[in-house]
Amino acid sequence: MSAEPDVIRKCTWPVCLVGLFVTGILSLDCSLLDVHLRRVTWQNLSLLSRMSKSFPIECLRESKAFELPQEILSHTQPLTRDIKEAFYEMSRQAFHIFIQDTFKSTWEEKHLRQVQIGLDQQLQYLEQCLEEEEEENEDMREMAEDEWTQSGAPVPQLSNLELRRYFNRIDRFLKDKKYSHCAWEIVRVEIRRCFYFFHKFTALLRRK
Amino acid sequence: MLALLGATTLMLVAGAPWVLPAASGGTNLKSPENGRVCIIDDNFILKWNSNSESVRNVTFSAEYKIPGMDNWKKLPGCQHITSTECNFSSVKLKNVYEKIELRIRAEKGNNASQWHEVKPFIPFQKAQIGPLDVHLEAEDKAIIIHISPPGTKDSIMWAMDHSSFIYSLVIWKNSPSPEERTETVYSRDKIYKLSPETTYCLKVKAELRSPRRVGLYSPVYCINTTEKHKVPAPENIEIDAENQVYVLKWDYAYENTTFRAQWSHEFLKRIPGSHSDKWKQIPNCEDVKTTHCVIPQNVFPEGIHRIRVQASNGNNTSFWSEEKIFNTEMKTILFPPVISMKSVNDDSLHVSIGAPKESENKSVNQLYPLIYEVIFRENTSNAERKVVEKRTDFTFPNLKPLTVYCVKARALTENDKWNKSSVFSDTVCEKTKPGNTSKTWLIAGICTALFSVIVAVYVVKVLLRCINYVFFPSSKPPSTVDEYFSEPPVRNLLLSTSEERTERCSVIENANTLTVIEETNPIDEDHKKYNSQTSQDSGNYSNEDENSGSKISEELLQQETV
Repeated sequence: MSAEPDVIRKCTWPVCLVGLFVTGILSLDCSLLDVHLRRVTWQNLSLLSRMSKSFPIECLRESKAFELPQEILSHTQPLTRDIKEAFYEMSRQAFHIFIQDTFKSTWEEKHLRQVQIGLDQQLQYLEQCLEEEEEENEDMREMAEDEWTQSGAPVPQLSNLELRRYFNRIDRFLKDKKYSHCAWEIVRVEIRRCFYFFHKFTALLRRK
Repeated sequence: MLALLGATTLMLVAGAPWVLPAASGGTNLKSPENGRVCIIDDNFILKWNSNSESVRNVTFSAEYKIPGMDNWKKLPGCQHITSTECNFSSVKLKNVYEKIELRIRAEKGNNASQWHEVKPFIPFQKAQIGPLDVHLEAEDKAIIIHISPPGTKDSIMWAMDHSSFIYSLVIWKNSPSPEERTETVYSRDKIYKLSPETTYCLKVKAELRSPRRVGLYSPVYCINTTEKHKVPAPENIEIDAENQVYVLKWDYAYENTTFRAQWSHEFLKRIPGSHSDKWKQIPNCEDVKTTHCVIPQNVFPEGIHRIRVQASNGNNTSFWSEEKIFNTEMKTILFPPVISMKSVNDDSLHVSIGAPKESENKSVNQLYPLIYEVIFRENTSNAERKVVEKRTDFTFPNLKPLTVYCVKARALTENDKWNKSSVFSDTVCEKTKPGNTSKTWLIAGICTALFSVIVAVYVVKVLLRCINYVFFPSSKPPSTVDEYFSEPPVRNLLLSTSEERTERCSVIENANTLTVIEETNPIDEDHKKYNSQTSQDSGNYSNEDENSGSKISEELLQQETV
């Protein structure tokens, strides 16, 4: 994976552009969602790697185990919708973390912008496809809502709650460490790890 | 007797309720029931039903427990409450995604009832979206809307969601025919396509996509659009990618106007708060007099962006046009595939389609599934057959033998909605093989040819041998002669001396051809001594021989060392 950033660094934007195939933002085909997500997740992962030259050794001391909820990624039979929801939740929370304005000096502005743009793209794709699915499954959704109001915690929501708790731990870590440079570096590495797991997760989407 | 018994029982039964409380002194205070929590944004309300008949002097207190706490703690804001609800927002939960347990009991004086436990809950899952704060600003054909997200800036409940809210807005004209329009907007957005000088009313509700949650509609807000602006805004903004540039075009009906265009990142829309300062001027599109401008591709980073254009005719500037969203990915193009064809047998041709290659010989990442439109025709006719194939290897059967067919293909994206296609590849033509009867003749002919070639080669070989024997005899002497004329070359001597094989030979006869082989020793002195010793020992050496012998040995030594 260390070779990837070099390769992508060389692949400057004209060459990269020429290699990509297109979709207009409003005409996305959701049956190819896994292809998009795979590509965009990997791009974001590489962007996160490139943002910082290397992890400062002195920050290792402050490192903390955030306990990424890997069990959601090892479900044997998750519904496609659950996978998309998990993906959406993850993308949203990662976006939320990276739009906070407290790291002006830590990383180069343009790298940060690219990460923000990349995450926004991920969100746009997911939103369009989740909306499409919702329109199709109006009845199912109402049933799910009833379940939710009665029991308080229906099964599909549980994985999203785990994800939220995970990101909440990251958020609180940042606040407690007062958004220090080390704290941001640790968070950057953690979210990159999270993207990596989700990138593997896209394989599940393809199988459906 | 019976009547007396009945009356006593009746009195006892009737008297019991009065007697018992007085006797127990309040230990049977009934615990409250039906405890429930209502959470709106950061307001936590606990409600319950009191169970005691006399509500005088009965107060209620509550306690809470969260994971990590061993003991119950007093719930702030819910101690000694006389009513049946209390507000415990001041509890300042660190984590709204953890389960909370609550319990309430009734108290009167020193007595307390049993604890009534409220069903444990996760605050985030119970939270409802509270009221919204809406500000409106009117233009002539649009309304700018500012919605502040639910909760305050320091909201604990929505701390991780303030960029996730979307707002569903219903807007209608107050005129006789109220046509409603529903739109989904971000927290700072614009509603377009309105008429000037009209009163519009709207209401908004906030939504969270996932988990799905919908708030209540805000109250209705009304505003008048301004009169038609002197300088209208540009319309129908379009952007296209061509070669290495983007071409931005718009419509404008009037002359003598200059325009400027700005762009902004799309993701900023998700972040609440005003971002009016985040628009950047597009180079080449400042003070242009035409209704288009050409933008080099390196102006925009990869991603999704928005563009707006403004017109000005000297003194007055128009309002900003509608914002056009565009994705930089639109500019990529599909390359034509590489097609090849070969004839399989006399009536079919096998076609294989390869991945497209860019002109600089870099292979293209194929990220989206492609289908191929293949045009197939006979070389001599113009009748084309169009086939759409998903596979990259396929065969055209049932063709005429010994005919030339030509094929070309182009790549299409699988989904018609996208409507992207490449240009056609080069045309490749191939001839089908000849038919069955002619084929067998061909095979027979080939076999015969092969056979005759083999025979000819053999015949030629035999002939050559004869000729060689007759005309070019070998010049080697017979083997018996070899024995007499063979001489070991001088080199053997050298080799044997280097292997340190020593042989001491004594000369029996004084013949010139015989040479002395002695042990080599780089030191000449020893050698000479040795030589003289042997000569003395043997006594058969003449002086002449001794000298010649040593000389030859010395020569040998020199040669060897050289």
